[in-house]
Amino acid sequence: MKFAAAPAALPGPLPEWDPQWSRLVRADTVDGEHTFHVLDTLPALRAAGREPTGTILALHGNPTWSYLWRHLAAASLRSTTGRTWRVIAPDQLEMGFSDRLAHDALPTTHGPGYRRIAERVTDFDAVVRTLLAEVPATAAATAAATEPATPSPTAGSPAAEAPAGDHPIVTIGHDWGGVLSLTWAARHLDLVDAVISLNTAVHQPEDAPLPAPLQAALAGPMLPTSTVLTDLFLRITLGLGQGPIRKEIKEAFRAPYRTAADRRGIGAFVADIPAQDTHPSRAELEQLGADIAGIDVPALLIWGPKDPVFLERYLRDLRGRLPHADIHRFEKASHLVSEDADVAGLALRWLENRFPAAEAPAADPTHAASGAAAESATAGSPDTQAPGTGAPAAAQSSTDSPLMFDALLARAGDRSIASVDMSQQPPQSVTWAQLAGVVDGIAHGLRDLGLRPGDRVSLLVQPGNNLTAALYAVLRAGGVAVVADAGLGVAGMTRAIKAADPQWIIGQVPGLTLARTAGWPGRRISVSPLNALERTALGVETSITELSRTVPSAPLARPDADDDAAILYTSGSTGPAKGVRYTHARLGALGRKLADHLGVEPGSGLVAGFPPFALLGPGIGATSVTPDMSVTKPRTLTATALADAILTGDCTMVFASPAAYRNVCATAGELSAEQRGACASVELVLSAGAPVPLRLMDALAELFPNAAIHSPYGMTEGLLLTDIDRHGVAAAAAQSRDHGVCVGTPVPGVSLALAPIDAAGRSSSTLLTGAKAVDVLGEFVVSAPHAKAGYDRLWLTDADSKRDELDGRMWHRTNDIGHIDPEGRVWLEGRLQHLLTTADGPLGPGGIEAVVDEVPGVLRSAVVGVGPRGTQAVVIVVEPDAEAPAGARQKPGLADLELTDAVRTAVAGHFAADIAAVLISPTFPTDIRHNSKINRERLAGWADAVLRGEPVGKP
Amino acid sequence: MKVLVTGASGLLGSSVAAALLAEGHAVTTLQRRASGVTGALDVLGSVTDPGLVEQATAGQDAVIHLAAKVAMTGDPAAFEAVNIEGTRTLLAAAQAAGVSRFVHISSPSVAHAGDSLVGEPAGPADPEHARGEYARTKAHGELLALAADSPAFPVLALRPHLMWGPGDTQLTERIIDRARAGRMPILGSGAALVDTLYATNAVDAILAALTAVTRTHGEALVVTNGQPRPIGEFITRLALAGGASAPGLRIPVAPALVAGAAVEKVWELGEHDDEPPLTRFLAEQMSTAHWFDQRRTREVLDWTPRVSIAEGMAALARHYSGT
Repeated sequence: MKFAAAPAALPGPLPEWDPQWSRLVRADTVDGEHTFHVLDTLPALRAAGREPTGTILALHGNPTWSYLWRHLAAASLRSTTGRTWRVIAPDQLEMGFSDRLAHDALPTTHGPGYRRIAERVTDFDAVVRTLLAEVPATAAATAAATEPATPSPTAGSPAAEAPAGDHPIVTIGHDWGGVLSLTWAARHLDLVDAVISLNTAVHQPEDAPLPAPLQAALAGPMLPTSTVLTDLFLRITLGLGQGPIRKEIKEAFRAPYRTAADRRGIGAFVADIPAQDTHPSRAELEQLGADIAGIDVPALLIWGPKDPVFLERYLRDLRGRLPHADIHRFEKASHLVSEDADVAGLALRWLENRFPAAEAPAADPTHAASGAAAESATAGSPDTQAPGTGAPAAAQSSTDSPLMFDALLARAGDRSIASVDMSQQPPQSVTWAQLAGVVDGIAHGLRDLGLRPGDRVSLLVQPGNNLTAALYAVLRAGGVAVVADAGLGVAGMTRAIKAADPQWIIGQVPGLTLARTAGWPGRRISVSPLNALERTALGVETSITELSRTVPSAPLARPDADDDAAILYTSGSTGPAKGVRYTHARLGALGRKLADHLGVEPGSGLVAGFPPFALLGPGIGATSVTPDMSVTKPRTLTATALADAILTGDCTMVFASPAAYRNVCATAGELSAEQRGACASVELVLSAGAPVPLRLMDALAELFPNAAIHSPYGMTEGLLLTDIDRHGVAAAAAQSRDHGVCVGTPVPGVSLALAPIDAAGRSSSTLLTGAKAVDVLGEFVVSAPHAKAGYDRLWLTDADSKRDELDGRMWHRTNDIGHIDPEGRVWLEGRLQHLLTTADGPLGPGGIEAVVDEVPGVLRSAVVGVGPRGTQAVVIVVEPDAEAPAGARQKPGLADLELTDAVRTAVAGHFAADIAAVLISPTFPTDIRHNSKINRERLAGWADAVLRGEPVGKP
Repeated sequence: MKVLVTGASGLLGSSVAAALLAEGHAVTTLQRRASGVTGALDVLGSVTDPGLVEQATAGQDAVIHLAAKVAMTGDPAAFEAVNIEGTRTLLAAAQAAGVSRFVHISSPSVAHAGDSLVGEPAGPADPEHARGEYARTKAHGELLALAADSPAFPVLALRPHLMWGPGDTQLTERIIDRARAGRMPILGSGAALVDTLYATNAVDAILAALTAVTRTHGEALVVTNGQPRPIGEFITRLALAGGASAPGLRIPVAPALVAGAAVEKVWELGEHDDEPPLTRFLAEQMSTAHWFDQRRTREVLDWTPRVSIAEGMAALARHYSGT
């Protein structure tokens, strides 16, 4: 098949595309002049009387074209703050609307005549130089740097040597455009100030199979058929959107690829994937991989993990080459990341952070070290960076501050009981001396096995002594413990572990089996020794038991306080679970904060009715007892199991979740006299996971007559922020001026501020503190030495959460909304994303819920908004309690008039809000981990459908 | 101010006329039957009669145009004569007479095709897609009224949605009568949210429009209580307030839509003076959400509903129990 040459052309009218962006540009390439179609926003900028102060060079992959960058073009033109960015995005030769060359045959993997990687990089160079010459600020830079255009692996000159004045030049690429743009950047570090890449691949390891979709496309005779003769490859790619891509957008992507002749470039591109050693582009690929590793300018990797082609291993490879890169994963995005997620917003935000507009004189942004830029700049590079630069909290993290494992090591000679796990048959107990010895053995064993400081270790072990030993050993060895618990569900755990990408997995057989079948990364270690067959089947190298017998050889290095210590996960009740990074300093501060707050003394014992709390015991120097219960189902904790645990450890403290306490109170009738006596000896009852209603606190007070009953407020990102006891809750309930859930006052060391919420439901960028923050609806913002160091591989989420600069501290946006009363007590009124915006203004659901929860017949309630933001109707969904009539409890849908009236009357006593409807949901959808966080998104979606008149179904 | 109110024999028109008189305005009414409003000058006849309309508009400062042919079905020509041609005649006469405020009473049905409306603003009137002759001709009429808008002749169009209250025969009385006869169905789950408007609030809004039209004009505003309620709850409360028992009849939506369409067809074929018991439009109205964004309305009219739904229901119950 022969193809005639065809000239570049301008695209016709397309959705979301401004014809003003389209330019035809002649550039001098390796084989003479060719015409490229280029998306360039310069004409639009100049038409608006603006001159660029930064340039983004964007390169698409296969089989897309510069249409891929339309959102970036539009967003950069819309932006009126920070720099004025020019976007230049060429269509590669024979792609998009650029020139088609003449060919005698279809493209093949080894055939001549079509563009290969090396030429594509020089094509890009030719086009962008031509265009950079049009703007004085970039013309000078390119003119000065035309000489060293030849590829050289040692060309990695520091960015500081040739700063582009105050006009940064940044590359961004996707798919093969990612690796091509990185290669060009690596070879022109004199020009480039930062690099960004979306899903791409630099290196195809010899021992790993090609991703299935590519194998199919590359299979010899199939290649021309799938890529050129038909539009199969094109259609498959456009089908990779997470949500379906709109028909007219798909049509726009296809516009330059209508006929087989138009699609020759798609085939050529696929044919140039060096899948085999003999491939003509293989050497070039090896070379560019080395070149990319020389990139020392700021880098951002944006990843859509649902991509079936550019798999996690390619991101791992890129991280290895660019260890300083910031990373943001859009967990729900697939291959066409920029169609699935707001890539343009992220990229511009990152650039604003890296290259603040004029007022920041620092020509070399990598060395800008003050204020928010530095704070955020370090935020997303979790593998290497020290967090919290400049924050007062960091001052505490000197190397001699006690680390989480020090309390345990200090008791290496103590033969009293450290931990009992009663969920085992028979109950398992260990002494402090045993635990310290085991931890030391495992830590040395891990080190001897090859674990290096900073290596991530996923712990797939149920809470109990084994998990406790493994966790402290990992910390001791300088590893980073990745604690993705079963509470996330299998899908959530898979997502979390793939994102954390640990080098090691320590697991029990169920966890290891999952790791094997779900393809989780990491060298595998079992808890108990396995037989040879199991070892092979699960790919396990050794066991914790075996490692614990390691005879210590060389002493272990002590981890630095600012090194990462652990990645914990949010419960995922509001979107995919986020990884939360804690450094040794912050984990150690947490341990000390808890020990202080709880008044832990030598010999103190705690019942971990919320099993993960057992992990804290050795850290705070308290004996921990895990009662006989299902670790994944908090509500399986019975009063008798709890009492037996108290007796076993002679415990004075009890930790559990509200769901567990509910069951404890419900089963209190089964207690023997001795067990009741044990409960009477408890001094502190602590609830974790969700606030405790007064009714439940009162019930607990009956069961634990001598205990202070506390309900601290915290989150994965800051486990202990405020606290309130039963008397405080009663006092709060007795007054009628405030609504919501009162969680008390901040514990010492926690700074609290409020970001007010505007009529549109957004929280302000200005923080209020003290008297100014009283009685204002806002988002709570906290700062504490024991709060998170950052979010893991979620650059944007992290930067957002740390965007405040008040008092030069590192703050955390909690996403929790509510108000502070004149006595300084915190009242929670819901989550920022659950805020309702009615015609009368924003409304936190928690205030109304607290009132409705007291209506007879109501177990719990959720206030959701239906309708457009700004004019939402307020709807109350009720989960009826056992006192409600059976009919009302069983059938989802409209509540009867009686309950509706009762709810409306109760609300009207405190709020002006009009309640459009009261709905019944017999059971509420909740999170797995706590069984208490209501899935309001789901309830809201259901309420919306029901109130539109659609079939009721189930929430 | 001298105000002409057309269609003052109905509940809304007569209430508006009475309220204007109470505020000290001079009121002329135009409709076929006596308005029954003490103190108003009744001109008896139709808006389709140009001579009569000219006579009624002469010397007026303002016109509130409520007269319309309201029915579920009927001869298209009859709807057109009143709702389109009558409006055209009135507009021309009012402009000729130097009237400086014109409030046109329209209907939310002019702007939608029967699918669910969830917090919608008032969209443009669309005769092409409006359902039924009433909505189609009212849409034309509203377009005519807004087209006539100018600084010298400012026009505001109000679209009250599902007005109810003591004395209302269109909606309130029918639902209560049917409920008493045990023939008032709830379609589907009865959960679709609908906006309604208590009669007193409708009167207030129209009077507010008479003032507002000098500030803001040339647009249409949906007027409701701003308190959407599940249709089943609304109907049940109306029935209870009227002394009937709560409707027990529940009909699934899909069969109701089919039945509505079928009944409509049969009705059109025969000679019927009354309304068909169920139309497809009515079935849709009763099974899909219909509620509106009231922010613009309240801003333009500088008005908020005085009587809440709960207060309105209590007043209705007092009305029917004779206390």
